[in-house]
Amino acid sequence: MSRQERVDQGSREPLKSRAEYPYHWDADDFVSRRELLRLAVLTSGALFAATVAIAVRGAFGNSSSGSRTLIANASDVPAGSVKYFDYPKKGDQAMLINVPGLGFVAYSQKCTHLSCAVRYERDKDRLYCPCHNGVYSVTTGDPTAGPPQRRLPQILLERDGDRIFARKEQA
Amino acid sequence: MSALFRGPDPERGVEPIVPPGREALLTAAVAIGIVLLAIQLWLLTVALDIYLAGARGQLWVLALLSGVVFVGGVVAIRVISRGPRTTGRR
Ligand code: FES
Repeated sequence: MSRQERVDQGSREPLKSRAEYPYHWDADDFVSRRELLRLAVLTSGALFAATVAIAVRGAFGNSSSGSRTLIANASDVPAGSVKYFDYPKKGDQAMLINVPGLGFVAYSQKCTHLSCAVRYERDKDRLYCPCHNGVYSVTTGDPTAGPPQRRLPQILLERDGDRIFARKEQA
Repeated sequence: MSALFRGPDPERGVEPIVPPGREALLTAAVAIGIVLLAIQLWLLTVALDIYLAGARGQLWVLALLSGVVFVGGVVAIRVISRGPRTTGRR
């Protein structure tokens, strides 16, 4: 016995409702699936548009930013120490590290996981994000442990005598 | 829709006239559509990841793949929306 027949059995006036809504249960299912398919195609269009938008931004946006800025004197940052500064804009925290045996490197302090401030830990020779225990290599900025999947943006440096300049930030 | 279903019938109620195999076709289309949507979502996340990582070379390939899925969906829905064949072999 179909669902429709079961419903009809308990009613004295089954035909009135059918006249008002003349679709069988199965027909109703059929229409709903077609509507769902239409919705799926609309969603597909939205996903496509979003992917194109990212590609356009990637093609025409700039992957590096910043201008030449004096950030420190080399003599003020001895081996194994760090100096924090703002780059490329005020409020964008960055760090200049004098890595023993390697020299000066600079990175953005913004964790690539959820943007907490990353700090240099000299005793463990690593860059550490305390929010979710993210760890980065101090020599390359690559993530080595924890949730971060992308490397820290690096800041290219230029040295002029004792003065160290930041040239640009590279993602 | 009206081409597919009879109007109200006082004696028997309404029976759908859905050509054999058409319901299965629609169900298959919905299932495949959902899988393709998941693939498109994955392409979007890969694109975002590449964009944020600063390597931008492959982004157009991902957009193109997503576009192919979308166009395929549009074509599929047009084919499915066409009414059942009323002429030809019986
Ligand atoms: S924000 Fe840095 S690990 Fe989560």
